[in-house]
Amino acid sequence: MTAYLVAVGIVALIYMLLTIGLNLQYGYTGLINFGVVAFFAIGAYTAALLTLAGWSLAPAFVVAMVAAGLLAYPIGLLSLRLSDDYLAVVTLGFSEVVRLVIQQERWLTNGVQGLPGIPRIFQTLGIGEYAELATLAVLVLCNLAAIAVMLHLVRSPYGRLIQAIRDDEVAVEAIGKDPRRLKVQVFMLGSGLAGLAGAFYAHFITYLSPDQFLPLVTFYVWIAMIIGGTGRTSGAAVGSLILMVFLEGSRFARDWIPGVSEVQMASVRLALVGLALILFTIYRPQGMMGRRQ
Amino acid sequence: MTQPISRRDVLKAGAGIAAASALPGFAFAQAPATFRLGSLCPVTGAGGPYGSGMQKAIELAVAEVNALGGAGGRKLELFSEDGQSKPDAAVLAAKKLIEVNKVQVLLGTWSSGVTLAVMPLTDAAGVIQMNTSGAPAISTQDTKDLVWRFQATNDRFGAAFAVIAEKRGWKKPATMAFNNASGIGNAEGFKKAWEKKGGKVVASVVYEPNRPSYRTELQQILAAKPDVIVTGSYVPDSTIILREWYQSGQDVKWILPGWAANPDLIKALGNEAVEGVISVDSVSNENAASYKALDAAYMKAMGKPVSSNVYACMTYDMVVCLALAMEAAGPNATVAQVNAKIREVSNPEGTKVYSFAEGRKLLAEKKKVNYEGASSKLDFDQYGDVTPDFGVFVIEKGQLVRRDVVSI
Amino acid sequence: MTLVDFCNLLINGTIEGLLIALPALALTLVMGVARFPNAATGDYMTVSAYAGIGVQALGATSIVVAGLGAIAAGAAISVVFYLWVFRALRGRPPVASLVAAIGVAFFSRSMLTLFVGHDQQTFNMPLVRAWNFGGVRLLPTDLYVAAIALIAMALLFALLHLTPIGRQMRAIADNPDLARACGIRSGRVLLALWAVVGALCALGGMMFGIKAVVSPELGWELLIPAFAAMILGGIGSPLGAVAGGVLLGIASELSVPFVGPSYKIAVAFALLLLVLLLRPRGLFGKAIAAR
Repeated sequence: MTAYLVAVGIVALIYMLLTIGLNLQYGYTGLINFGVVAFFAIGAYTAALLTLAGWSLAPAFVVAMVAAGLLAYPIGLLSLRLSDDYLAVVTLGFSEVVRLVIQQERWLTNGVQGLPGIPRIFQTLGIGEYAELATLAVLVLCNLAAIAVMLHLVRSPYGRLIQAIRDDEVAVEAIGKDPRRLKVQVFMLGSGLAGLAGAFYAHFITYLSPDQFLPLVTFYVWIAMIIGGTGRTSGAAVGSLILMVFLEGSRFARDWIPGVSEVQMASVRLALVGLALILFTIYRPQGMMGRRQ
Repeated sequence: MTQPISRRDVLKAGAGIAAASALPGFAFAQAPATFRLGSLCPVTGAGGPYGSGMQKAIELAVAEVNALGGAGGRKLELFSEDGQSKPDAAVLAAKKLIEVNKVQVLLGTWSSGVTLAVMPLTDAAGVIQMNTSGAPAISTQDTKDLVWRFQATNDRFGAAFAVIAEKRGWKKPATMAFNNASGIGNAEGFKKAWEKKGGKVVASVVYEPNRPSYRTELQQILAAKPDVIVTGSYVPDSTIILREWYQSGQDVKWILPGWAANPDLIKALGNEAVEGVISVDSVSNENAASYKALDAAYMKAMGKPVSSNVYACMTYDMVVCLALAMEAAGPNATVAQVNAKIREVSNPEGTKVYSFAEGRKLLAEKKKVNYEGASSKLDFDQYGDVTPDFGVFVIEKGQLVRRDVVSI
Repeated sequence: MTLVDFCNLLINGTIEGLLIALPALALTLVMGVARFPNAATGDYMTVSAYAGIGVQALGATSIVVAGLGAIAAGAAISVVFYLWVFRALRGRPPVASLVAAIGVAFFSRSMLTLFVGHDQQTFNMPLVRAWNFGGVRLLPTDLYVAAIALIAMALLFALLHLTPIGRQMRAIADNPDLARACGIRSGRVLLALWAVVGALCALGGMMFGIKAVVSPELGWELLIPAFAAMILGGIGSPLGAVAGGVLLGIASELSVPFVGPSYKIAVAFALLLLVLLLRPRGLFGKAIAAR
């Protein structure tokens, strides 16, 4: 049971990194990014390809983060031109294009056959509970670091500017600051975090294929953020934990729903997840950690 | 059941139950003496059309083994999760099965991606893995010989396609492949084998899943005027492609894998459109007792013949094969000891058997057995991959009729 | 590319575009009036398509009857979820409704598979050969699909522009406060809107099911192309949704000889991006929504 919980914890923490990144983009600057999975994928593939080529993990992870951040630059520029919903669909489309490129460029990514045999994090410690526990610990540290950076940003003059953009872009401009540059920077920072999450993911699952990077991942991250409460640092953490409870906890639903066949159980699980989402948004509008308005 | 359950079996089972119920304290004090199976079939997602049947076939086989009192002195206990045809979801489900349910075997993974993602976990935990995936990488990634593949590899399928096309005198084949590891694998396996024979593939296309129409892709292929089209496809996309081809009215022959050209496809399109389509299946003997027994049970449970789901035959064989290996390894055998017996009970030299009951009887007499499965003759090579003969079925008046058997 | 090929690709693209146009219309209506991206649109299509199959299974041989059954089911499911979920979320940020809509999508799909299973289904339609005009092939089924899609769109435009309830919908889309001040009872109008949305989804699901196959993930997979069509046309513009769908369909099919069948989807997004760079609010932006 412990090892399973550790695994669930690792996935929850990977989602947490993604959610913190998104929270930075949306919660603080109002940028609607529905292409989270694209940056996640870039990070995952970059890191995996590097480590498979013999790099050690740490530099590969850094490069993955930078690659995802750089890729966000053109999209960030785009966000200056497009408003909310248009940006949402353009980023969504962008993530699909990234997936298609990964799928089609077989010389680089091995296409739909995928990349097997990606080294595990802390493989030298032997594959077992300890390696996974260590991974969990590192992920906790990364999340704490991300949160610290974010809090620092939010509280700095820079951060107040970022929040001001969300509330009134024109006013920011009026006091002589360039909100456009700030927006692009925030977008790149959030996407870099997604890239880091991808690097962890690749070395946890150990096998990558394009069908792991469907828009559903993006939706999950949004769900985690909304559930947790937007614009709240603790929201991202709590939201991704609750998301995993929804997704994984429903596996144990069988214990209290007797007489359901194994095949029906798959439907029941999805129904429970859907129902939870519906009820949650209706009855807990401010998110788990948000204040009641 | 080909082998009627003997009175002795019933008595033994009865005695077993009596013993178990007479010693409840004992049974609870010790870890329950069951062998734990975890199934990870693709109930939802891309494998959805097959997953339900695969799951059912596992349940049928487990019930069959348990009705005879289990194998190697142990009952089988089944835990199931939905693999969702997605590697990331399957990894967590597999972790749960291995860590929480303590399964000793993980079976029924379908998509190559899922199998490749869970293999490192099962290998690390010393759990037997049984799959129906086609990708070549599975053979080489298995480090501990714990992975058993009940589906012919893409290359073997491709080679079979090539032999069939050659036998029928076709000169200008084209390929159409569903864009996933197995679809592309089949088409490329064919191409490799065909070019080895000195032939040339006149056109090939890889198409995306979930499209409303494949007319454009088909148009590209038909423009090269092939005499036969070989596919790596599944039922939904084959339905759309064949319907559009039939409506376009151009003359060409088709070779499809058995999981695509099956009764579901015939039902979806009607007899006329699929007349003459060739379906290639690892089921080379649909008269084998193992196949007939499963077909009857499956019909009763699912309301359709098992020929509509060749993967269900494979998952059924997984359980029977495993149970025979447990029987051969004897009581309280470890997972590794059971694993070591899998080739022994399936590969030649032993007496051919077609059911668990039959095999068990011979094993009890210390004889060697060779299980001939419902899905294939079920012989494993050094990689743990099956090496089946291929049945060549032609659709005639809405029926799949076996016209040939091809050995690679 | 010969002229014949070109014509064939054009036909394919138009038909695929019209198929996408129906859900895109449903999306754009919700976007314009209720103001959130309704991620459950695709699953409304799926449920309706299965309802159509169900009607046929009950013995109705006519595809028209099946279609009517599907429309009834689509409208019903759409209204039910409005009353239960989306009405409660009015006035909240669009992303909240979006998350709820994803929940609705999961929930309705799972209820469907719980009872009907995961097998593919097909409508009972006789297969007919295509008309061949010197290599340009036209399928009668495609013509029906196109005709029905066009009729549905014509009806929708008539509803929006010629009937009082349609005018009220447009008024709410334009300015909800002003509409309320003018005495428009938005409850009734929204009910009608959701019924229309459901019916559009149902038609889309039926058409897709006739053209392809009916499976549990039919609609979910169509969601992104439908979003793209809506955005290309401009949010809230019904005409834009149709034009967007057809344009994307044609562009992606025509690109196949050059980039292959996988990248044709990328071509559609590239076109979308290009148009948005020139016209950040889409082709027909602001037609009925004043945002």
